[in-house]
Amino acid sequence: MEIKGADIVLQCLRAEGVELVFGYPGGAIMPLYDALEGSGVRHILTRHEQGAVFAAEGYARVTGEVGVAMATSGPGATNLVTGIADAKMDSVPLVCITGQVRSALIGTDAFQETDVFGVTLSLTKWSRLVRTIDEIPEAIAEGFHWARSGRPGPVVIDIPTDLLKAKKEFSGPVKFTPHARPADAKAEGGFTDTIVALLRQSSKPVALVGAGAKLSGAIAELRRLLDELNIPTFATVHGLGAVPPETPYYLGMVGMHGTRAANMALHETDLLLVFGARLDDRVTGDPTRFAPHAKIVHFEIDPAQLDRVRPCDLPVIGNLADTIPAFHVELRRHSSPDFSSWRAVACGDERAELDPRGLAQPTIRFLDELFSRLPQDSVVLTDVGQHQMWAAQRYRSASPRGFITSGGLGAMGFALPAAVGVQLAKPDTCVLCVSGDGGFQMNIQELATVHRLGLPVKMVIIDNKYLGMVRQWQQLFYQRNYAETDLSDNPDFVEIAKAYKIHSFRLNEDAMREFPVSSETGEQIDRFLHSPEPELLVFDCAPEANVFPMVPAGAALSEMLLEEEPTQ
Amino acid sequence: MQTFHIRYRNTQGTLMRILNAASRRALDLPLVQAEAAEHDHQVTLALDVNQKQVGQLYREWYGIADVIKVSSGAAAHAATWAAPHPPAGVVIEESRAAARA
Repeated sequence: MEIKGADIVLQCLRAEGVELVFGYPGGAIMPLYDALEGSGVRHILTRHEQGAVFAAEGYARVTGEVGVAMATSGPGATNLVTGIADAKMDSVPLVCITGQVRSALIGTDAFQETDVFGVTLSLTKWSRLVRTIDEIPEAIAEGFHWARSGRPGPVVIDIPTDLLKAKKEFSGPVKFTPHARPADAKAEGGFTDTIVALLRQSSKPVALVGAGAKLSGAIAELRRLLDELNIPTFATVHGLGAVPPETPYYLGMVGMHGTRAANMALHETDLLLVFGARLDDRVTGDPTRFAPHAKIVHFEIDPAQLDRVRPCDLPVIGNLADTIPAFHVELRRHSSPDFSSWRAVACGDERAELDPRGLAQPTIRFLDELFSRLPQDSVVLTDVGQHQMWAAQRYRSASPRGFITSGGLGAMGFALPAAVGVQLAKPDTCVLCVSGDGGFQMNIQELATVHRLGLPVKMVIIDNKYLGMVRQWQQLFYQRNYAETDLSDNPDFVEIAKAYKIHSFRLNEDAMREFPVSSETGEQIDRFLHSPEPELLVFDCAPEANVFPMVPAGAALSEMLLEEEPTQ
Repeated sequence: MQTFHIRYRNTQGTLMRILNAASRRALDLPLVQAEAAEHDHQVTLALDVNQKQVGQLYREWYGIADVIKVSSGAAAHAATWAAPHPPAGVVIEESRAAARA
């Protein structure tokens, strides 16, 4: 029996294990929407295509499965671009299916035609403009392969509308078998001996954990290895949760807004073991002065991430699920070197005390209060800005996929739609979505999606009525010239939430000046976190609080600012 | 100036991804020559790059799904690429005269 191309698409998605797609309909992709009913694929309607792709990302980030977003041609497709770029930077497995104008019109600047294949070329691992209905099964199978394999990432499959309507005899989905690739090189044998030798030669080794450690599924093995090494260890923003925060040798987040202890240890180390981090500039500071005394051993699955910012001395290419156990086996054959004196310095109270925890800072106190009252196994999402960094600094969970944020791209507007995807993936989990007043407004329309689906997302707006992180830079480096960062005419978010039929209330930072907080405030927060309904909490706070420590752009990690200094 | 030879399966977009690895680094592409090579295709590029960029390009090219092999040739002399690029077009007056004829 002949079936339509749209039905073939949906059957192939089901064969890939897809149960949920996020999208927004339009002309070119209408045939696909027409085929949804009875397909076994549940479609989640967002209110903007960017909301759809961020929701698909949230789903993928929390589950490790491929997130799927769909949109129509032209502006629908281009509205996916930021999410595609976000998935590329943060290694998120994502498949975007876009409608395209009918085949005969391609290249004629037809209505709602854009060259989405060309636009997303540099942002995708792989993409395909499907040319015949026969290509559809192969395109979907291959697309899912590239989205999942190696370093995960985004894929675009662009399907002309006439192919979605065309019919053919369909024998079933196909499997994709990749060609052998030279880039699939594995770490050479003997690397474990070399690392052990380097450890014996070092006196100040440290370990840095990034997203790759979580994506590889090797968290348990990594934790055992780190316990064996017992050296100062820290994480990138995407590595948070990989190491239990109460671990004595763990120093928190490193980098531009990392802890003083972590940054100093990284600056002083003579041997840096990197596990699944790509050493981006937010972590390294000035790359020419990054870990100036150290040899670097870089465990990484994607060879393209090696030597980007700073050459490494020993690349260990491969899946951490393979390379970490191999290294651990070799390590256990030797007696462990004693790094206790280095650990005492790097992890000692003196360095920790010098960290400006800012416990008098109401927003930080508020985040501490929220996080301390979260149910176990909650998921915290943040948007982008000061609140993101404060949340990352205060996050205290050992859940590897428990802290979700747009790290590499830093896309404002990420959190709310991503929280939709996370809550759908984890319906019984408390999902806390922390945004700033700027970023929340970028995808505020997704309150409609939250309401329609009755998702019990707990949304917090840190409302300082500024684009806070930009304002901070303007204060510290641009003589307080607050150009175009004033949001003092924000709407009343409580009233907006009510218009979307979502319960909302306001807390003022004065509520955080008592320590501990009053029982009334505590009850309000508990009721907020445990409500079975979606909730919005607007936290009104002072505008000119800053995030410290801060490593200024172009500075070394050792040159971090610990408090406000005279503007330059 | 250095020449690079990239062998690839000529699937949709592969050549463009290879070129994009250079263009995203603001590298000029004074020579690009792509042709069938046995069962696959090969593109030869001439690029003015430093050693760090060579490493980055190799790794990025090998990361492209249908790239098979990357190799580099001897450094080319700059004079070879001194010709104006793109080629000089028809003079405007000649074009106008032809149109009025």
